[in-house]
Amino acid sequence: MSHVDDGMLHAYLDGELAPAEAQGVDAHLAQCPGCRERLEEERALIARAGELLALAAPPDREVPPFRAGDVKPPARLWWQVRQPLAWAATIVLALGIGTYLGRGFEALREPETAADAEPARPQALETPLTPERARRESRVTVPGATRKPPAAPASVPAPATPERAEYIARQRAAPVAARAEAPSAQADSVSLDGEHDVLRGPPISVDSARLLLGRDPLAVPGAPIRAVYRARQLGYSAVVIVEQPLDSSTVIEVVNKRASPLALNAVVV
Amino acid sequence: MPHSALSPVPQDLAEVYRTTYRALVRFLYRKVWDAERAEDLAQEAFARALVHKPDNARGWLFIVAANMARDDARRAARERRHLTLLTAEAQESNSATDEALEVESDRARVRAALEDLSPRDREVLLLWDSGLSYDEIATQTGLARGAIGTTLSRARRRLVQAYEAGKSGKHVARG
Repeated sequence: MSHVDDGMLHAYLDGELAPAEAQGVDAHLAQCPGCRERLEEERALIARAGELLALAAPPDREVPPFRAGDVKPPARLWWQVRQPLAWAATIVLALGIGTYLGRGFEALREPETAADAEPARPQALETPLTPERARRESRVTVPGATRKPPAAPASVPAPATPERAEYIARQRAAPVAARAEAPSAQADSVSLDGEHDVLRGPPISVDSARLLLGRDPLAVPGAPIRAVYRARQLGYSAVVIVEQPLDSSTVIEVVNKRASPLALNAVVV
Repeated sequence: MPHSALSPVPQDLAEVYRTTYRALVRFLYRKVWDAERAEDLAQEAFARALVHKPDNARGWLFIVAANMARDDARRAARERRHLTLLTAEAQESNSATDEALEVESDRARVRAALEDLSPRDREVLLLWDSGLSYDEIATQTGLARGAIGTTLSRARRRLVQAYEAGKSGKHVARG
């Protein structure tokens, strides 16, 4: 009798062989120690694969009631606030923060071709902490910046969280100035972090953005607003992205976040 | 289960929901890698099933879910070309423990190992792990039922090899 091939062993172990086939395998195994050994190896392989897949599974929750009658668009689920909120007031890269969105809002335009500089963007919120994750920093000249940021490392790979926290702390802004801050003639160089973990959602109105964030969204002063989007990120109850074209080939997104620290613990397994 | 005042949920679909919902979420999670998003997409898939009333709801759901996840990924990919300026966030939330980091990196390694499989092998593996039978997998993927066992054996082996190699920092050539 011919030995049992891998495919058949797996189907056997998965319980997917027809009874007649399974009996045939049984009969062979009874008289073939080599195949019996392979059977155990494959059994261990299946178990190991199952373990690994279980590592990459969502937390098991109760099945929610089937909201058949009142089917909501998925976007609405993002709005549900699950935990008490903590609101952040620090700015990473200072850009003359005095200018509020309400002042500089312009009519939306047609989307333009994307910029040349392309930071690699992870597709999901839970970005894996892999060293080979590509990141790039770009230098963009932003007219209207009234405060010079410190020189950012141009070729250093992404800083880990503690370093970034320090970088952020160094940027801590003074209490936001009044609205009428005129753009200065001097153009400052701003280093941008190409990496982010947000997943963009549907476009929303400025008013919705204000409601979500609890304050006016921040934007680059002097640049028009193309659109405002709702977005999501692990650990934040609200994320709003303000999309602004800086020139004919460059678009910048200002990411506004409202943190919910307790929610993070609920999601991390 | 709450019913709409307008039209009741068909009993068979409600049953499918009860038995398949978690599996669908699991399946979607391995595509979008976001638990909440996976739940949202699963809900939407069931909502569409209500409208379309497919004959084989279970199989239909997984196909629809795969398409939705793919569209999700395409949209995210389009956005890769924008620059991003980050505003700051509160830092008090984030002292990740060693254990949390460990779990996260294990998950990341499994995800990377899954990427190492061919798309077809990966799909078969994920469908099996979501609880579908060989017959259902064959229907969904178009493969012959007799080929499923072989595909799974290859996929499982590849997954474990890639994971172990990733853990030790080596790269395994695709055989």
